Parts: sequence; structure tokens; C-alpha cells
Amino acid sequence: MIGRAEKIWLLLAGLTLLGAWLAETAEHGWLLAVTVAGVIVLKGRLVAVGYMEIGAARALIRRAVWGFVLAVPFLALLDYRFGDVVAQYTRAALH
Amino acid sequence: MSGSATISSRSLPGRVPGNPGIWVGIFCVLVEFLLLFNVYFIARAHNPEAFRHGPEKLATVAGTAITLLLVTSGYGMVKAVEAMRRDDKRVTLRWILFSMALGFGYPVVKFFEIRWNVSRGVDGAAGIFYTVYYYLTLNHLVHVFWGLLGLGWTAVRTGLGAYSAADHHGLEAAAVYWHTTDIIWLMIFPFFYVLR
Repeated sequence: MIGRAEKIWLLLAGLTLLGAWLAETAEHGWLLAVTVAGVIVLKGRLVAVGYMEIGAARALIRRAVWGFVLAVPFLALLDYRFGDVVAQYTRAALH
Repeated sequence: MSGSATISSRSLPGRVPGNPGIWVGIFCVLVEFLLLFNVYFIARAHNPEAFRHGPEKLATVAGTAITLLLVTSGYGMVKAVEAMRRDDKRVTLRWILFSMALGFGYPVVKFFEIRWNVSRGVDGAAGIFYTVYYYLTLNHLVHVFWGLLGLGWTAVRTGLGAYSAADHHGLEAAAVYWHTTDIIWLMIFPFFYVLR
């Protein structure tokens, strides 16, 4: 009998193997970046909701964890697309 | 009276998985890694070519193995909490030990990965990509050690019969912290091993 935890584990393992396959075969590009960000959000949600049970947690906990899971891949996409702008605005701070 | 009761129930709905103390720690860890990921983003923005070719020299199999170890270890802690909710302490202890065994696999894989890296000239001074890679992954490893200490503590407490179906907040606290380290690795893995 496969329960909820087992289904989540299978999904996480499958998405991990997808990541390994992408690491070996995928080319640089926007499609890879969007796929990676989507997989991060999906895996993060599976762990946060399925394993940490934040769906039933207080709003502050839900927002903090879910905000982290969304913010990091979103920032990664911004960085991937607008890296030159990020470099321009942070150059002064680094030199 | 009813007004204040309404405000109270609105401001504090839901439960606290584990205990409030562990969430203070988890919030700190999330903020810390948000800052560390920003270091990654800024370094990447300034060195796009280094980050585009950096993953080519890393062992995908090591990153994949660590990810599978952590998600399976996390699954073990879910089963441990489920067993404790049934008041089955013996099964709980087995699942905690299962999670710990897989968790200890992480530093073992990391050791061989770093040895393999260094033998091929991929050390912390090999370039900005690898400097950030070592900084983030070793920092994460430190948090995993804390998580393993927590799991060890809950294993001892479970063995001593300190938890019950009605009161196992400490076990849940260790589990949610362990899942947090899992979530962070699920971001580190694609950023360093997959994204080009």
C-alpha cells in the first residue's frame, strides 16, 4: 500500500533524477533556467506541505517557508535574465 | 469580548509544527541562506561564464546521491512522527535511526566528492564558481550536522520513553528542522550541478 509519504518520496526521487539528467544533457538557456526554477518550487512545496505540514501551520510559518521556496527560484530567474543589470548595480559595492 | 476573541483566533490560527523555539532557529537559517544565495546570484551576475561552465567539473552523481539520501532520510522522519502519533515507540526509534544512517551518508559522499574534486584541481581557489560552491555546500553541511545531533537527541529520548502520542513536540521539532535542511539542499543541487 503506497501512502501519501511514499508518493511524495517517489515524486521527489523522480524529480531528482530529472535534475541529474538535465545536469548531464541540458544546454545553457532560458528553458533550462525556467525548468530548474519550476522543479525547485515543486520539490520545495512537496517537502513543505507534505512533510513539514505547513498547510496546517500558523500563517507566519506558512508565509516564511512558502516565501523562501518561492523567493529563491524567482531571484534565480531574475539573476539569470538580468544578470548584467545586477552586476551593474552591485559593481560599486564590490570595488 | 467576542471582538477580542475574533482577533485572537485570526492572528493565531493553525498549529506550530514542533515547538516555537525550533521555528526561531529555522527562520534564522532561512534568512542566512537567503543571504548566501544572494552571494551566489551576485557572483553569477559578475561571472556568467564561470558559472556557465562551472558545473562541468563537478560530479553530478555525488550531488544526486546526496539529494536522494536527504529526501529519503526526510521520508524516514515523516514515518517516525507518524509512528509516534500511533504511540508505537519501537517503530519510531527504527525510523529515526534509519534517517540518521542516511543522513550520515551525506558527509561520507561529500568527503569522497571533495577528494575527487581536489585530485582534479577543483579546490576553493579554482575560481569564483568553486569558491561559492564550497562556501555554500560546506555551510549547509554544518547545518546538517546540527540536524543529525538533533536526530540523535530524539533517538535517545525516544529510547528512554520521553515521547508519547500526546506529547512529542521535540521529535516534530527535530523533524521540521531536518526537512528545512532538505529544502535548502534541493536549491543548492540545481544551482551548482544543473544550471548553466
